[in-house]
Amino acid sequence: MRDAPLLEVRDVSMSFPGVKALRNVSLKVDSGEILGLLGHNGSGKSTLVKILARLHRPDDGAEITFPRAASGSAPDPIHFIHQDLGLVPLLSTVENLAIGQRLSWRSLLPSPRRRQRRAARRVIDEFGVDFDVELPVARLTPAERTIVAIVRALDGWTDPHNVLVLDEPTAALHGQEAETLFAVVKEVARRGAGIIYISHRLDEVVDLADRVIVLKDGAQVAERARGDFDHDTLVELIAGASRSLLTAHPAREATPVVLDVKELSGPAFAGVTLQVRAGEIVGIAGLVGSGAQHVCSTVFGAAERTGGAVAVSDRPVHGSPRAAIRHGMGFVPADRRRLGAIVGSSARENLTLPRLRPLVNGRGSVDTARERREVGSWFARVDVRPLLPERAFALFSGGNQQKIVMAKWLRNEPLVLLLDEPTQGVDVGAKAGIYQLIMDAAAAGAAVLVASSDDKELVELCDRVVVFRDGSPAEELQGASLVEAELIRVVISSSGARAAAGRQTSGSRA
Amino acid sequence: MTAIESGAAEAAPSRPAPVLPRLRRWLAFRNISAIYLGVLTFAVFAVWIPDTFLDWTTWKTVLDAQAIAGLAAVALVVPLAAGVFNLAIGAQVGLSSIVVGWLIVDRGQGVATSILLTVAAGVVIGLVTGVLVVRARIDSLIATLGTSSLLAALVTAVSGGQQILGVPDGLSRLGSGDVAGFTYPVIGLGLIALLVWYLLERTPVGRHIYATGGNAEAARLAGVRIDAVVVGSLALCGAVTAVAGVLVTARLANADPTIGPSYLLPAFTAAFLGSTQFKGGRFNVWGTVVSVYVLAMGVKGFQLAGAPVWIPDVFNGVILLAAVAMSKLQTGARRRARASTAPTS
Repeated sequence: MRDAPLLEVRDVSMSFPGVKALRNVSLKVDSGEILGLLGHNGSGKSTLVKILARLHRPDDGAEITFPRAASGSAPDPIHFIHQDLGLVPLLSTVENLAIGQRLSWRSLLPSPRRRQRRAARRVIDEFGVDFDVELPVARLTPAERTIVAIVRALDGWTDPHNVLVLDEPTAALHGQEAETLFAVVKEVARRGAGIIYISHRLDEVVDLADRVIVLKDGAQVAERARGDFDHDTLVELIAGASRSLLTAHPAREATPVVLDVKELSGPAFAGVTLQVRAGEIVGIAGLVGSGAQHVCSTVFGAAERTGGAVAVSDRPVHGSPRAAIRHGMGFVPADRRRLGAIVGSSARENLTLPRLRPLVNGRGSVDTARERREVGSWFARVDVRPLLPERAFALFSGGNQQKIVMAKWLRNEPLVLLLDEPTQGVDVGAKAGIYQLIMDAAAAGAAVLVASSDDKELVELCDRVVVFRDGSPAEELQGASLVEAELIRVVISSSGARAAAGRQTSGSRA
Repeated sequence: MTAIESGAAEAAPSRPAPVLPRLRRWLAFRNISAIYLGVLTFAVFAVWIPDTFLDWTTWKTVLDAQAIAGLAAVALVVPLAAGVFNLAIGAQVGLSSIVVGWLIVDRGQGVATSILLTVAAGVVIGLVTGVLVVRARIDSLIATLGTSSLLAALVTAVSGGQQILGVPDGLSRLGSGDVAGFTYPVIGLGLIALLVWYLLERTPVGRHIYATGGNAEAARLAGVRIDAVVVGSLALCGAVTAVAGVLVTARLANADPTIGPSYLLPAFTAAFLGSTQFKGGRFNVWGTVVSVYVLAMGVKGFQLAGAPVWIPDVFNGVILLAAVAMSKLQTGARRRARASTAPTS
């Protein structure tokens, strides 16, 4: 069994209440091989990674083995590099590499700095890269940081026959940097490791992978060896066939433009121009790093605007949340617990915080009786359970939390509703409720902008969807072309291939 | 307990819950542990040393002696509620005490003018500290540590390190005069506590303060002017500490340059102990005032009983640690309960 695979996964299924996240997935990784693991959001990729990391327990019958590992060795010979690299930003490369080492009584002695430094420089050199190993890693480029994380993972390997899982390592990298990283990844494989490479960037996968496995809706839909796939076949495999049953997207009559964004620039995007009419729901899609994730927060003024202008009903809004709220905007951020609410405060206090003035009585105090009534009726209206407005926000479930955050803005009768990942971490039942709230708000005349990584959601909700690529709007889907498979196809396709395919790009560029 | 709570409130979401469960919730040990500890302390000393402990003058002394510490603690509640640590609180009391004495004795200003100027100075100190925190983006812990040192220097510079003697009756009467047995400092504490309570618990400003302290970034996204809240809370804190400083000088009938720092730790102890009372972890005025007096009662009891001099410190430390630990256990249990019912997502 000299050529036994490094990792063998057989018949892994995983059921969550109500959802089958994975069905009978099997795969193996050989020494020296780079396996591309592909699939769109919700395809089961991350569930599989979590199972490999033993964060989830798969259903019975699954088998995960490391045939080459000495039996009984305690930690699995598999290492994970996530987008969050787990480095200590203020420490240098040398120090970050040393963190992984086990402590013993010797750790109390002064650390052998010179030896560590030389060792760090040597391993970095071996991968053909060169940077100052004594600089705090915060000051390295993202690619260099990723390399430090990889080197640190390798450091603990006693033999090279380990599996390295890279989960979207290039989401934050730019062209040249990614190349540096790829060289390192290839080198690691050449030395005998097996690599599972997860990425949304198909060009990279075409360049790197010896074999790809495509997941869709939790099942393995394809396995192709190198030479047997290119960018376009991967797109087709991931997106699947277009569903014939379409959600109707009737063309709407021209209502006045409410939200007018001109040449807006912010974190990770530039020159975005878009308009949303009253009653319209416009989606924003794009991979991590495309800039799509930052549009709503920048329009609202939560993230810093570096250029451009935003107007609501022809009145300019300068970039601060306060100004945005005054002009009738509401913003539901993706990170609910960190940005969406004061989690230690009661649901009631959270719900009324943006607009307390109408509740103030003649003595300058908040009329809590009236506030309770009002919050009670909002709870009923958006269907929050349990009906306990005095309860701390943190104690509600994700779906109910999100409904409270929605109610907080709906109470202001917003002209513009900006939603980032409105149903992230929300159970299926609450999801439908939130969709209804969004559609009701639009029906009441709000201009709605929804950024989401859930393509099904965008297709279901939106009148049209603007797809971002490399920091600017690249294409727009509406009407008959706004179906899930097509949206996924547009989102995951890289710009070069799209241009080659002769598709026209629409959007802001004149 | 929980069943009663939820059942009651679900039945009548918009009306206040029925009286009995609300009362029972309010009386829960975790909600008013300091009051129970106070009652226990009272009972122990009432049995142990009834002659001295149950004497009315003892109580008047405790009430009066702790009024200024109480004011400092109430002042501290405001920035703490806004999420700002004010380590300069002792130095601010000390400086105000010196400044009012200096204005009256050395500069020959009138009593009323001097008090007003001192309070104004307190506000300015708060504003400057606030600007350091929000504009220079210095962490409040460090910023107030720094200003605390500067204020201490100012105290020595103004006073020359000497007591300022010869405070006129007009001022010292403020420290010793009384209405119906309650000295002016006690009345001052009562009034200011009432005002601060109203501001924090009843007004939109108070909501904004607690929102900022709870999660500044989320508050900003809800339209709260968090910078103004931080600066304003430090300014209010400065004004109240100035009043405390004036009363220190009035009570002692001289201005002592060494007295300020002694108010720092008791104020923090009372504010943190107070945060475990009534409001489930929120810094609040009445919890703080109750804490000041529960601690003071215990300390007084031990003094009267002739316990060793180190016992009061032990008492303060144990009560603070126990109360905070209990409130942590409670929130921890809540969080676990929440986690076990959360849907997988």
